[in-house]
Amino acid sequence: MTTLAPSASRKKPRLSLARLTAYVVLIALSVIYLAPIALLVITSLKTLPEFTRDAISLPKSIGIDNFVEAWNKANFARYLLNTALYTAVSTVIFVISGTFLAVAIARRFVRGSGALFTLFLIALFLPPALIPQFQLILRLGLYNNPIGYVMLFLVNPIGIVILVNYIRTIPIELDEAAALEGVTYIRYVVQIVLPLIMPAIATVAVLHALGVWNELILATIYLTKADYYPITRGLIVFNGIYGNNWPVLAAAVMMIAAPMALFFILMQRYIIGGVTAGAVKG
Amino acid sequence: MRYLFGGGTARLAPYLLVAPGLLLYMVVALGPSLATVVFSFTDASGLPRLPVHFVGLDNYKEFLTLGAASKENMQALVRTLIFCVGVTAIQFTFGLFVAILLNQGLRGTKFFRTLFFFPVILGVTIQGLMWSLFLYPIGGPLATVLSWFGLHSEFLGGQPTEAFIWVMVVQIWANMGITMVIFLAGLQTIPDEVFEAARIDGAGRWQMFRRVTWPLLTPAVNTNMVLTIIGSLQAWGLFFVLIGYRPGTQVLGYLVFATAFGQTTGSTAGNTFRQGYGAAAGVMLFLLVLAIGITTQYLLRRREARLLG
Repeated sequence: MTTLAPSASRKKPRLSLARLTAYVVLIALSVIYLAPIALLVITSLKTLPEFTRDAISLPKSIGIDNFVEAWNKANFARYLLNTALYTAVSTVIFVISGTFLAVAIARRFVRGSGALFTLFLIALFLPPALIPQFQLILRLGLYNNPIGYVMLFLVNPIGIVILVNYIRTIPIELDEAAALEGVTYIRYVVQIVLPLIMPAIATVAVLHALGVWNELILATIYLTKADYYPITRGLIVFNGIYGNNWPVLAAAVMMIAAPMALFFILMQRYIIGGVTAGAVKG
Repeated sequence: MRYLFGGGTARLAPYLLVAPGLLLYMVVALGPSLATVVFSFTDASGLPRLPVHFVGLDNYKEFLTLGAASKENMQALVRTLIFCVGVTAIQFTFGLFVAILLNQGLRGTKFFRTLFFFPVILGVTIQGLMWSLFLYPIGGPLATVLSWFGLHSEFLGGQPTEAFIWVMVVQIWANMGITMVIFLAGLQTIPDEVFEAARIDGAGRWQMFRRVTWPLLTPAVNTNMVLTIIGSLQAWGLFFVLIGYRPGTQVLGYLVFATAFGQTTGSTAGNTFRQGYGAAAGVMLFLLVLAIGITTQYLLRRREARLLG
């Protein structure tokens, strides 16, 4: 995985016109990036009359009334639990099945490994699967059913590609050593390969989990019963009802975005590693 | 590669363990994706137990040539291209520029990198709602700031062109971080000695970029070009959250969803699920992605060959 720390061997910092310009540009851009986020935070702490009077002034007093109101008005606890379940189940199943797939493809243990790999590589370009997927789930009787919804997230072609590329960097001598010990295939994968590819597994798992956590369109199509809503769908429906009460809506968005910010700060390495994996090789 | 973990039935182990993942991929993703083509030749609807008929090229004929709707389809197609070109050009340029700035060992690099990447992880729902608040036309934050200068704007609720441009802005805000980190990773593969040598040869800042950085960044340039072009052709989630299905703003991806799932009037009531027709629209989008994707790859390869040769 690529580390993104600034290279230490660059010249010593000294204030030049170029450096100053760089700072001005970066700070200007930061303002654009921070503005919507800052206003979300500010709005979530204001009362509705305060917001109506002046949308950008700071709140007079800091209270959590909006958060309490948002929490009480919609079943966010339920939505969060749903999202957590969908994310956890699909990520675990994908990572397990994906690991076995990737090891076999990377080491060419199954016939047609090269063709299989291509099958995952081209996924980015394929037509949207939306409509036949819906017909399939409908015919299986899994419409408006959490099982049907989770089924849609059990695969992730980009994740497979990342895993295969990572496993290929592990020396083949390892396999020979393992074979000399006489281990079975499953033990070889689980006890020898798995510990070595943990960084890639973490990256792929985090990327996949983020995708499921943030999914809105498929939730809109497949889950019409409020009890099954993930948090994304819950927020959109909440927006439809309380769309004019921005302080409460902002509080609702904050409650979801804040834990994600924390998660991002903790997992930044894996997330950025996933985005850049394999991106800069020739 | 030789298989070292036993013969006979033991040789079957990798096959058995590949099966679940592969089967899932075929059934849930690859199969449906390809079946879109088949559905595009039928009159499939969203209702269970309704017979499905083969209608040949009717859906395509309707999509391309029938009345006012086909004109809107063409406009959606053109809009998809405008969205793609605008987003790619700006996101690519900004991503590259910011990555170069962040590769100078400046103080606060880590903070800037984290901030610019942060929106990526929020997903379209939170990105969209955040900006809906920011752009709220009636006394919202940006409207307030503009009013200080006597300016006025309708933002997302106003005329289609203005709303469309704001969706582009949010799309770039949300995804520039991806372009940036890919360029940063690329920049870090360039050894310092190369810059050092160029400096000794008396290369200026611009020459350094033109002759050293830009050619050596080729892998990252290729990845970013392909990812951003394909991604922006297929993206429509922010349209869904920010403005809904509104005349004069639709792009192809949204059109596929809206016709297939009865969202063309903003609600499911009284709408039919025209899944066969939607599938035809999906195939049109696919052809567009394919044509542009192949052209991009060809041009990037040619550029790479020229740089190396």
